Amino acid sequence: MTTMMNRPASAPGDASGRKPLIERLNIVTALVVGTVSAIVIWQLALHFLPQDAETASFFNREDKISLMSLIAWFVGFMTGIGALIGPFRWAFGKDLNHDENMFLAGKDQGIKRYFRYTTDHKVVGIQYLVITIIILFVGGTLAMLIRTNLGHPQGGWIHPQAYNAIVGWHGIIMIVATIIMITGPFGNFIMPIMIGARDMAFPRLNALSFWLIVAAIPPVFISFFTGGITTGWSAYNPLASQAGLGMNGYIAFICIFAISTMVAGANITTTVVKMRAKGMTWNRTPIFIYGVVASVALALPAFPVFFLSQIMSAMDRAFATSFYNSAAGGSGWLYENLFWIMGHPEVYVILIPSVAALMEMAPVFTRRPLFSFNLAIMGIAGISGLSVLVWAHHMYISGWAPLLNAPFMLTTELISIPTGMLFLVLIGTLWRGRLWMTMPLMSIFALLWNFMIGGITGIYLSDVPADAFLHGSMYVTAHFHYTLMGAGLTGALASLVYWFPKMTGRMFDKTLSWVSFWLVQIGFNVAFIGMFLVGLAGQPRRVESYASIFNKGNLITTMGAYTIMAGMLVLLHGVISSWRNGVKAPMNPWQAKTLEWTVANPVPLENFETLPVITSDPYGYGKAQS
Amino acid sequence: MSELETTQRPSWWKRSDAKKAIFLWVIFTAIIGYTASIIQSRAMGSPASENMSNTINMVKIFTWAAAPVAGLVAALTITTLLGQRHFGDNPPPEAEHEIRNSPRVAATWVVVSTLLCLFAVIYGMVLVQADENKLRTANPINIDVTGQQWVWNFKYVDNGGAQSADLYLPVNKPVLFHVTSTDVMHSFWIVQMGIKVDANPGYVTETGTTPNKIGVYDLRCAELCGLYHAYMQKKVHVVSQADYDAWVQNQGGNA
Amino acid sequence: MSVETHSHSNPHHEHPDVVGSRNRLGVILILVADIAMALSVLFVFFYLKGQNVNDMWLPAATPDSPAVLALSSKGTWYVTALAGLGAAAHFYGLKGVRAANRTQLVLGGGVALVFSLAALIYQFMQISSAPFTTTSGAYASCYYLIAALNTLHLVLTVFIAFGNWNRSRLGIYVADHWHVDIVNVWWIWMTVSSLLGAFALSFA
Repeated sequence: MTTMMNRPASAPGDASGRKPLIERLNIVTALVVGTVSAIVIWQLALHFLPQDAETASFFNREDKISLMSLIAWFVGFMTGIGALIGPFRWAFGKDLNHDENMFLAGKDQGIKRYFRYTTDHKVVGIQYLVITIIILFVGGTLAMLIRTNLGHPQGGWIHPQAYNAIVGWHGIIMIVATIIMITGPFGNFIMPIMIGARDMAFPRLNALSFWLIVAAIPPVFISFFTGGITTGWSAYNPLASQAGLGMNGYIAFICIFAISTMVAGANITTTVVKMRAKGMTWNRTPIFIYGVVASVALALPAFPVFFLSQIMSAMDRAFATSFYNSAAGGSGWLYENLFWIMGHPEVYVILIPSVAALMEMAPVFTRRPLFSFNLAIMGIAGISGLSVLVWAHHMYISGWAPLLNAPFMLTTELISIPTGMLFLVLIGTLWRGRLWMTMPLMSIFALLWNFMIGGITGIYLSDVPADAFLHGSMYVTAHFHYTLMGAGLTGALASLVYWFPKMTGRMFDKTLSWVSFWLVQIGFNVAFIGMFLVGLAGQPRRVESYASIFNKGNLITTMGAYTIMAGMLVLLHGVISSWRNGVKAPMNPWQAKTLEWTVANPVPLENFETLPVITSDPYGYGKAQS
Repeated sequence: MSELETTQRPSWWKRSDAKKAIFLWVIFTAIIGYTASIIQSRAMGSPASENMSNTINMVKIFTWAAAPVAGLVAALTITTLLGQRHFGDNPPPEAEHEIRNSPRVAATWVVVSTLLCLFAVIYGMVLVQADENKLRTANPINIDVTGQQWVWNFKYVDNGGAQSADLYLPVNKPVLFHVTSTDVMHSFWIVQMGIKVDANPGYVTETGTTPNKIGVYDLRCAELCGLYHAYMQKKVHVVSQADYDAWVQNQGGNA
Repeated sequence: MSVETHSHSNPHHEHPDVVGSRNRLGVILILVADIAMALSVLFVFFYLKGQNVNDMWLPAATPDSPAVLALSSKGTWYVTALAGLGAAAHFYGLKGVRAANRTQLVLGGGVALVFSLAALIYQFMQISSAPFTTTSGAYASCYYLIAALNTLHLVLTVFIAFGNWNRSRLGIYVADHWHVDIVNVWWIWMTVSSLLGAFALSFA
């Protein structure tokens, strides 16, 4: 399939001229093996799996078959991409040799390395970037379908079944996209260079974490055509056990994705702890690194809980166990607890790296040091620590334990203190600065504005009496869009423009970045202020039609949403056109002082000829320093 | 705000940008507090119970407590944005100083945010406790609420167990709802009374209130419960005691 | 790039101890995730037991079916014991490689492999001979969940123990032994997680 004309003669390959297995595997073989195994298992199961007993609940056999096919897809895909080569070579005592490792790192393979199990962190970073853009595009399209349907009162043109499926699909893939949107592309591409490492600690695990996401996506896409995720992204049981076969796609998606985040979390954390350049003490480590590590380390204990909750959901569906079925001793509150033990750390998994990325940019665009580095670290650590203790604020009105409402109210509101620290760091850095007016700089202002609204509305929601009114209303939807999108996505878009020159070797088109910035931010604020108002007026979430008193607010939101769409399309156009024929970027276009700007464009394999030695932190701007 | 210890500089509050920021802070606090509390309380409509009036008050108070914070952030950022701006492809010259920290500012910031946070916690707790106590001491009428896809059913326990798909409540009489579900989770939300509790299969949860205004209000399901979640709505009729007695007897119960 | 690395099998000239400590941290972090999952399983068990929704933790007898009785936890303790013996055998092998005694490593690794296989087979037998089905209430569900988690762990253990034994047999572990060290970490956690499951089931 590929010809390696310029590979050294010493490369592995037997005398017959057949290329070794490791060189024959790529995304095509993965798709073929995955699809074929899924179809084979599906057919076998159809023929040989015994019929359900009369007493079985309706879906059991179909659920078994579809789950088995999804597992077969997963195993087949990972085999076909070559994920199993490493472990089996280890077990049989034939470790990969240097040339094979170099092949895996994508040496001299041009564009083809992006379609293989390539271990080079820069390749993985670009792969993550592309897949994030694809997921955001799909999720955004679904958001537009939702808003179009809601633009017209009294139900729209989408059938309630399809509408619910769209809401669930939009929710879950946007959650995944926002989780990976910073730690994926920038955490993989930029982070190792920023700390002065040649690659990640475990390059093969790095490739694994990316290809797991690729393997996870088809199940969730297919699920839309097999009944859909009609439960919202939270997939509360017992509603989820009642839902159609599409839920199995959700389960498979979550389980595979949870493994991916776990692998990535262990990998990134180890890289940062063990592989920082000589002299890069914790005081001299850039704040972005702290953000990335806090995010992935938080995911480590959080996602296995989610994984388990979905395994139990699968068991309930396929084997009629009773984890969530109250008629047979199960409990919906169990699911809620497990889900939110993951669910609340997860929002900080999304938010922290985004704020940290903007903290990294603030000194660059104001040409002065980061204000109070220690406070920034305390803020990040405080949020991470508290975030695992607040999950039950999603369950104030579920009635599961009214006595626990007060302690959870306390922990939740305590989070505003470390969050305030992050605000102070950003404002302190900007204050009286000479502002270099670029899209990343304005994104800091946008983040402060959006996150302020998201944070303050969060305090209303965290107080039980107000939550008794606001919970489950559009107010909540608006609130978390303000934090995840207004703050999270804003930081990710700024990161894209900021690190685009290093990742692609070309500058991001300035005009397009400004146009998209203003369209997105204005549209965003219009859309979600409108949503706050209908929420306060009493419109529940996830409804496909509403009373006429909500007409105006929904129309405002829909118009805002279309503005966001225009802005995001401009941005997409900017990405494509700048990547293809943007202005060639110099090595350090922003004159920043972190290590990633000291390597050439394009970044060579293994990044550094000689590893750098660090003598100061990267925020030495200001006259006093020079 | 910045901590310039150099003696020839004027005190920080005498510098022009600090003055501008303080001026903007006052203005923004007033604007944000006023407009946000007006808009929010107007959006929440007129209350039909004390719970709801408390909630509206709480939102107003929180808004006014948050307004200085939001106003400060807005004032500082806008003053900065109005200051020195630099356009072009090359960075501006570096700053003349190298301020990396200001313990005084940081400490003030943390202390103030902690106080605000504690205020929110304590206020919320007091309110919750008050609601709880009221529920316990009153002698409420009990109504069993059962959610099922996609309707609500009500059983008037204290009125001979009359059953109905309509919710009628006497005005100014405390009422306690015992909520459960037969299939999936629902959420029992009487919008204008500001109360909500989930209906869980296998469990009974409680919420209560005292409707204080005769009228017709909205009961909506606030937890996605399947295909027709959006249509799982009902009107709540708050009527005089006499009307209520008549209605209950009409449903086969006793007054 | 990296011309200086071509002649060397270790491209970065890193000391094996550096690589070893990095790998150990990575494995421990992955174990953090696994520990979180194992603890959640305990949470599930005790939450459902505590709630006993509709008195269906252990359903009483009905006209159609007899009452479900909690299984003796003895079986799960036996699995734990087998895992513990495997861990001990592996530790014996580890001490061997530390003393540069290859025979001891191969022997310890081989015995550990046998124990992991025995535990896996025994676990299978237990699952297949359980006197209830997946539909017999919350206790039965939790029983299958814990057994399934343990089975998954044991399958991984068999794979790892096989690799470890095979590699020591081939003489790969003469000079460095951090692989064996890390396998030891896994064995310990495997035993502990099995013990947690047995512990929970003792409180049915």
